[in-house]
Amino acid sequence: MITKEMIDLYIQKIPPAPKALQKTIHYLNIGELTKASSVAKEDLALSSYLKSIVNKPIYGFRNNVSDIPQIFGILGVSGAKQSVYNYLLTLLSPDKWSLFKLNSNSFHELQAQLSVKWKIILKHLNILDKDIESAITLLPASIIVCDALFGEKIEDVNLLRSVNNLDFNTILMRLCKFDLFDICEEISIKWEMPENISKIIQASSGKKESSEDSINILGKWMHLLLFYELSQPIFVKAELNDFIDFNIEYVSDIYEEFAQLMDIK
Amino acid sequence: MRAVIKNGIGIFSPQGFLDGNNSSILVTFEDIEATKKLNADIILVSLKKVIFFNRNGLDIFVKLFTKIRKDKHITVGFCDYDEKKFNAIKNFYANDLNFSLFQTKEIAELFSPTYSNDKRDVLIYTDDKSQNSAIAIELHDNGHNPILAQSKQDFLNKKDNFDYVISNSILGCMGNSVATRVTGNAIIYTISTFLDAEIGNKFNIAYHNNSLNIGFKLFIFDAYKVVSMNIHALNFFSKLASYSAEYNATICFAGLSSTKFPESFKETLEDSGIMFFNQMDDILNDEKQLKELTGVTSVNTKNKRHINKATVSELPNLIDATVATIEMMTNAKALKESVNIQEVTLKNHTDMVASSIGFYGDLDGMIILVFPIDIAKKTCELLIGEETDDTDMILDTLSELVNIVGGKMKTILSDENVNINITLPRTYQKISTLLENTKGRKGVQVDLAFDGKKFLFFLTR
Repeated sequence: MITKEMIDLYIQKIPPAPKALQKTIHYLNIGELTKASSVAKEDLALSSYLKSIVNKPIYGFRNNVSDIPQIFGILGVSGAKQSVYNYLLTLLSPDKWSLFKLNSNSFHELQAQLSVKWKIILKHLNILDKDIESAITLLPASIIVCDALFGEKIEDVNLLRSVNNLDFNTILMRLCKFDLFDICEEISIKWEMPENISKIIQASSGKKESSEDSINILGKWMHLLLFYELSQPIFVKAELNDFIDFNIEYVSDIYEEFAQLMDIK
Repeated sequence: MRAVIKNGIGIFSPQGFLDGNNSSILVTFEDIEATKKLNADIILVSLKKVIFFNRNGLDIFVKLFTKIRKDKHITVGFCDYDEKKFNAIKNFYANDLNFSLFQTKEIAELFSPTYSNDKRDVLIYTDDKSQNSAIAIELHDNGHNPILAQSKQDFLNKKDNFDYVISNSILGCMGNSVATRVTGNAIIYTISTFLDAEIGNKFNIAYHNNSLNIGFKLFIFDAYKVVSMNIHALNFFSKLASYSAEYNATICFAGLSSTKFPESFKETLEDSGIMFFNQMDDILNDEKQLKELTGVTSVNTKNKRHINKATVSELPNLIDATVATIEMMTNAKALKESVNIQEVTLKNHTDMVASSIGFYGDLDGMIILVFPIDIAKKTCELLIGEETDDTDMILDTLSELVNIVGGKMKTILSDENVNINITLPRTYQKISTLLENTKGRKGVQVDLAFDGKKFLFFLTR
């Protein structure tokens, strides 16, 4: 169905991060918000993406924000970096989704929801780290990769799942000894994202606990946040709810805290 | 979301958070209709991967239960929950709990008439005395050994000495349909309560006919729960036995006490060839008799239907379905080597296993797949996550694989407006049994190779 060669080919085809984005990220890394926004402004697709995403209701701005320096100013260095990474991810997303019932709008919505709520979680955990804040941006890559690999095999997968309730990640792991989160890690390496990001993403799979406690805690919060989002009607409708296995035991010790933070009653 | 069926139990497995907003999307009208068509004895919703739910979230599933019960008369409910979730469900539906709650899927299996498991020692303790009795009776009826704990302390003291302990479970309305299961090479139908003319509607005669066609020779009616039988049911079973005898098949009743029907009924049924046994074990544990009854050495008389044009015309589709499924499961490439019309012919059948599945509807027939054991093991890797040498597990996986092939056949043929249903698969650990069973029956034999390993596809009627 899916072979390791297909995965290797997919990874090979991932384009490097565009120069303008690399430059923007470079300036953000050294805290040069103004220079970063000037470079970002020149990339029309990035500008358009940033405008569309920060004006989503989840960001809570009363008035329409359209000026890129203003957007960078509102988001701050870490928020801007997170948004640029989110944009980078959209370059990987397909024009037409085949496995999941998503479109660019609903995918951007998922990115926005995850980003804003991840920020709330990090604030709650008293973590102030640009890289960790950006880590959430790589999580939806698992969805993109899953759609790309399984999109044409959906009938086969459905037949397989009619006798055995396997999630996509497990199917891939059993077939190729390589899972969706390993592919995310490859993407992060290709895009020269900080090492911490891929470690947190691996832990967030719920399958591979990290030996570092600090990474593991973040992995748990991210795993639970992902399933909280994937349980929202829009993403249930997109058939994203069971694309990977929810590991309830993994997150049980943080659930009460999470429920309070997200005001779940 | 679709239920996955195994051992007669269909399970929905929602994940994450369940509330009124998302659960109505999780279970659609089409899902309910598809669930009704499943050949399941129990339909359950597993709460194992649900971390939060509220009443609205569960209500959608409860409505699903009501619709399924109304149409199918089978057991429905929730499973795989902890004490907190159990108490929450009880609180939500305090006066309106008309579904079952099974602590785990394994506990639900104890109540399934389809699931063929050994007699288990089960300790029961719930707060509700009538529930304790109901659970004990149902378990006893299913051939287990239930023990009621006298107090909570008694329960805690004894619980480590039992195969299963049941505490946080509730039995709602249990099923009363004719359940079907395969054990070894016998098909077991479970019948209950009062048997009258309605048995003709509840019993799937098309399924029985196709099981005869596939080569099943022994059909056992598990009749422990039968209360009584009238003349209409007597006629039904007499005709069924006479018809089955034309295929050299035997029908047996297990556990039907002579006090439940007149002596003359028993004589009529015996005259039709039906055999009576006090207990299921009297048949299943007597290897010599079982071998005789399952017809390993007997020759099929009526069942010598040969392949016909209608079936052959679908051969490419049926091969595609098989090849695509095995390629999908093993990532191995198939190579077609030869096609012949003949009886099943194998030069060497060491280290081979086989499985057959029948189909009926617009088109009828049977496909037989003979696998090298290595291919069967490879499919195990995908379905259970590891390679295994456990023969039972390999044969079980083979059944799942053939079920997937059957599902794929259904899909491909329905695209051409040919609608079929599939039977339960039969597996063969010994190819000699398969050869005996198909002796004298011609069909299309396609020899294939998967990564250089011989694989046989045989289509017949």
